Amino acid sequence: MHEFSAVSQMVELVLEEAKRRNAKRVLEVRVSVGKLSFLNPEQLRFAYKVLSEGTILENSRLRIEEKEGVIQCSKCGYKGGISVEDNPYYHLGIPFLRCPKCGGEASIVEGRDFSIKSIRIEV
Amino acid sequence: MVEIVKAEEGGEILDIELDVNLQRRNLELAEANRRLLESFGVRAIDFMGSVGSGKTCLIGRLVEALKGEYRIGVIGGDLTTTIDMELLEGLGVPVVQVNTGRECHLDANLVAKALEKLNLQQLDLVFIENVGNIICPADFPLGAHRRVAVVSVVESPYIIVKHPLTFQTVDVVALNKVDLAQAVGADVERLEADIRRVNPKLAIVRTSCKTGLGIQNLRETLKL
Repeated sequence: MHEFSAVSQMVELVLEEAKRRNAKRVLEVRVSVGKLSFLNPEQLRFAYKVLSEGTILENSRLRIEEKEGVIQCSKCGYKGGISVEDNPYYHLGIPFLRCPKCGGEASIVEGRDFSIKSIRIEV
Repeated sequence: MVEIVKAEEGGEILDIELDVNLQRRNLELAEANRRLLESFGVRAIDFMGSVGSGKTCLIGRLVEALKGEYRIGVIGGDLTTTIDMELLEGLGVPVVQVNTGRECHLDANLVAKALEKLNLQQLDLVFIENVGNIICPADFPLGAHRRVAVVSVVESPYIIVKHPLTFQTVDVVALNKVDLAQAVGADVERLEADIRRVNPKLAIVRTSCKTGLGIQNLRETLKL
């Protein structure tokens, strides 16, 4: 949903870091995207391609690691994957915050982040 | 065409670990907003919902019900107009309009600026009306103590299941305009069942700004 603003912030940060290290080029940027965030990898790639043009990031590789959502149940303590309704009507599946083990109420503990993990530069 | 310099002809290749959380800046600002509010003993409640879901009207009803007991201020986000905040100003409370121009949501930075314009020493409660949008505000915590999603029953029978992530970032859902449910054939029970499926923790309050139904219940749910 906010892929362009998220990527533009990311590109800015990478350019700053690259400049600080006198990099000639950035070859690769590795990011991690939580599956419970509102960011779509396909749109991230498109935004990255557009926003890196004309910078030392141009033609670099964007590696996106998708991080699974993790929920924790307040009743039985279950900590793990989120349950998703497998309904052909909703082809992406609807994630639920109901504990898959005991049906209790769960909260999201992981899977909402968008982080730059590392960059590969040529100096 | 950009000239590609092969690594062996060029310089040294370095891998640099960064591990920078890109949402951190908004989160840090949201936490700062929360600390600022708490230093003045002020509670804040953020309302998000589609255009026309009844956010302004609901806030207006709450202001009317609470202004005898609480000193209230309102921050309103809107792309271009001041229509909503003028309505609420008419209720005799200080209002701050944030016109985002293009942005489809408020962020913690905009709210920080708006908070500067309110005299927090003179307030107990701040209502924040987000830009009319059921998707984008969800990713931008503002520092409010509670977050309410306002959904009118006339919007769509699939409004909840189409926006599951949104309903996993709020604390309360106000199912508004219930007085119209019968007229438009809306199944309120089904909407409630969908909410409980997506996030069983959510408090659900049926409201109608028109009749005043549920305003007292919403007030109690928000512990006001």
